Amino acid sequence: MIELVHLEKRYENSAPLVDVNAVINDGDVISIIGPSGTGKSTLIRCINMLERPTGGRIILDGVDICAPGYDVTKARRKMGMVFQSFNLFGHLNVIENIMQAQIDILKRPKSEAYATGMKLLRRVGLTSRETNYPDELSGGQKQRVAIARTLAMDPEVILFDEPTSALDPTMVGEVQSVIRDLANTEKTMLIVTHEMNFARAICNRVFYMDQGGIYEDGTPDQVFDNPQRDRTRRFVRRLKVLEFTIDGPDFDLAGAETEIGGYCSQNDISSRAKYRIDLTFEELTYHILQPVIERVPVQITIEYTEEEENTEITASFGGEKFDPAENGDDFSYIVLQSTVKSLSHHYDPKAEQTNTIRVLI
Amino acid sequence: MKINNRVDRTVLVKLGQKTITVLTMSLILVLVAGLLTACGTETEVITSPEQLNREDAKIGVATDAPEFALVEERFPKAEVVYTQDLIAAFTSVAQGKMDAYVGNKLNMELAIYNGLQGVRLLDGTIGEGNVSAVAISPRTEIPDLKGKINEFLKQVKEDGTLDDMRSRWIDKRDMAMPTILEAKDPQLNLVVGTTGLSEPFTCYVNGELAGYDVELAKRFASWLGASIEFKLYDYSGIVPAAQGGDVDCVFANLYVTPEREKALEFSNPTFIVDIGVMVRDTGSQNGGGIAAFFSSVKESFEKTFLTEDRWLLFVGGIVTTLLITVLAIILGTLIGFAVYMVCRNGNRAANAITRFCIWLIEGMPVVVLLMILYYVLFERVNLSGVTVSVMAFTLIFAAAVFNMLKAGVATVGKGQMEAAYSLGYTDTKAFFNIMLPQALRHVMPTYKAQIKALIKATAVVGYVAVQDLTKMGDIVRSRTYEAFFPLIAIAVVYFILAAILIWIVNKIEVRAIPGRRPNGDDQKKG
Repeated sequence: MIELVHLEKRYENSAPLVDVNAVINDGDVISIIGPSGTGKSTLIRCINMLERPTGGRIILDGVDICAPGYDVTKARRKMGMVFQSFNLFGHLNVIENIMQAQIDILKRPKSEAYATGMKLLRRVGLTSRETNYPDELSGGQKQRVAIARTLAMDPEVILFDEPTSALDPTMVGEVQSVIRDLANTEKTMLIVTHEMNFARAICNRVFYMDQGGIYEDGTPDQVFDNPQRDRTRRFVRRLKVLEFTIDGPDFDLAGAETEIGGYCSQNDISSRAKYRIDLTFEELTYHILQPVIERVPVQITIEYTEEEENTEITASFGGEKFDPAENGDDFSYIVLQSTVKSLSHHYDPKAEQTNTIRVLI
Repeated sequence: MKINNRVDRTVLVKLGQKTITVLTMSLILVLVAGLLTACGTETEVITSPEQLNREDAKIGVATDAPEFALVEERFPKAEVVYTQDLIAAFTSVAQGKMDAYVGNKLNMELAIYNGLQGVRLLDGTIGEGNVSAVAISPRTEIPDLKGKINEFLKQVKEDGTLDDMRSRWIDKRDMAMPTILEAKDPQLNLVVGTTGLSEPFTCYVNGELAGYDVELAKRFASWLGASIEFKLYDYSGIVPAAQGGDVDCVFANLYVTPEREKALEFSNPTFIVDIGVMVRDTGSQNGGGIAAFFSSVKESFEKTFLTEDRWLLFVGGIVTTLLITVLAIILGTLIGFAVYMVCRNGNRAANAITRFCIWLIEGMPVVVLLMILYYVLFERVNLSGVTVSVMAFTLIFAAAVFNMLKAGVATVGKGQMEAAYSLGYTDTKAFFNIMLPQALRHVMPTYKAQIKALIKATAVVGYVAVQDLTKMGDIVRSRTYEAFFPLIAIAVVYFILAAILIWIVNKIEVRAIPGRRPNGDDQKKG
């Protein structure tokens, strides 16, 4: 059990952790989510004492590991850490990476260390890479080796610091499946992640971090579907709804498409649906709304609903009436109309945004 | 676990290639240098000193020698050039780089007698001659040393010993050193500074110091009932050495000049040196052809290495150079490493002190650092030149090792340490087991380059009375009057010594650093 009591970490110019309080029970699998810069990584680095907290206490199995004179290596032996950047030992090959600490720290005989190493390699599916060096592996393979290296030390707690953030999208899955497998082993796990579906699938608790502390602590269902507090609600909504405003002809449309791509993968939108969304967005912005964009800002909202597998793209803007069926690029309008489920225009002279175009895909 | 035998073989093959390259390069050097010295250009034949008084004439004199005033007076139009040592002066005249050299006529006669080519002496002498005498250090602890030397000089003059010495060394050119009885139960130790660079006054014969002044010094020590110890300096370094108290007195055919008299006391004269003029001898230059060239090469080789077993001098020099280099490498590595360990965790005071020291050490020329240590810092402490040299080069190497480690560790990155900590390593264990093996991989190429730089840098230790390889080359050149062979030989030896040291380091590297090397054939395994 880990207790965090008024934990604080301040740097000269910033204070990522102001007052963190939590009780982490044995066997908990906790996802730590939140906007960037809210101290998620700092929190788990403090728990492992890679960063020394500037205030408060961390009580691990009844012992305050922040107390002066406490040998932090004792605490670290109960905890393993998986880094965003893998940090495999560059001078050792895969099996040596897993054996080294067993030999140096646990004083296991070489044969035993090797046997444990091979068992763990099998578990992460990399027995064939035994004698490769880290720079010969893909990112996903490196992270799986790093996980095996951590497991070899038999930790009670495993801390994951954005384990898939440095990976190619194609490699995220292999690492996630290894972590998912671990979540069923009764080990306590804390995972800092941006992959919300993954977080939701494997954890029993979610810490939403904001304003220098754990802003909301609850089950995944509560935090994702029924958040209790304002900032959590906004954060979760932002995960589900993508919003941005095209503020003129100089707007970075290519950048917006990248954002849409990120949104799609975050919400597990199929690649076919993603292709349609991209196409619709392009037709809308590059062609149909081109004359509007030059005059007024256009607000775009993209929202995906899981149940019906529908995506709704809304473009709203002020100014005089602009019905794409009448005013716009005819050809593009016909193309768009033929590919989407529905396409509608609504004009309300009294509203702030007088024009609203809804596309359902 | 993988341990690479392949590396050993690669190293050996590389070493083999290196040796061949070194040998080929030196052969080319030898041939080119030989051909260059064989060529010459025609100039006006000089027969009388007056011809030298023209504006485009360059006349050489020894640094700090009274001849300067003489040349200024006699050849006001000519340009005066200072020369470091006799052999450099003579070679410059022979090669036409200087039109004439004005200096000790005896040195010149002996050089020509011993086979110096391409120069001749003008008839007669100029000026009244230079008075040379024994210089006495103001810091000597022997009471009334000057009075004792004068008393001794008076005695040897009266009993004919001085005349006998003069006839043997100067007139008969007999370079044999007589046996002089050493004092029994010496109460004193007389430290004598000399140069070994001025035949027949102080020079190496059969690998031993000999000459008129050396014999005189030994006789004086015996007369005084003291044991004797010689220290060798350049002419430019010997006065400061005596002034600083490194030696009690100087027996080196040292001329009495007004400047020197301000710094040191002089005894009554020991010799009056005639001043002669040496000019280039265009007549004796010969094209000679290949056969003549090779026979002259053979002759030079014999003179440089075989005559009087002079190769032993080179061996002695090599031993000294190696001693200084190897000690500096070992101590420098240990100290640099120790200092790095102290500074590693960011102790502010330690880092500030270290930064300052490194700034100081790296900021000045090696030779200046060496001389500051020897003549300023340890002026009052009786430390040998070798000890001070080892200290200086240890400091230099330690600074380099410190910087290398810092850069190497920075290259590996903080993440490796964090990974080790999170596996339960202590700070020290993480550093030695995880960080260092990786950092060393980045450090080793620079480390080897530094070793090569170090062994070459030690060539300046001659400044503090150490007879290293380069200094031994100077000493041999001062007898053979040939630049060619000693210099080429020294260059080749430096190459070989560096190759040997690197070979040893490679051996150690393969043994001591586990895991994979960052570059090399073994990276391809899979």
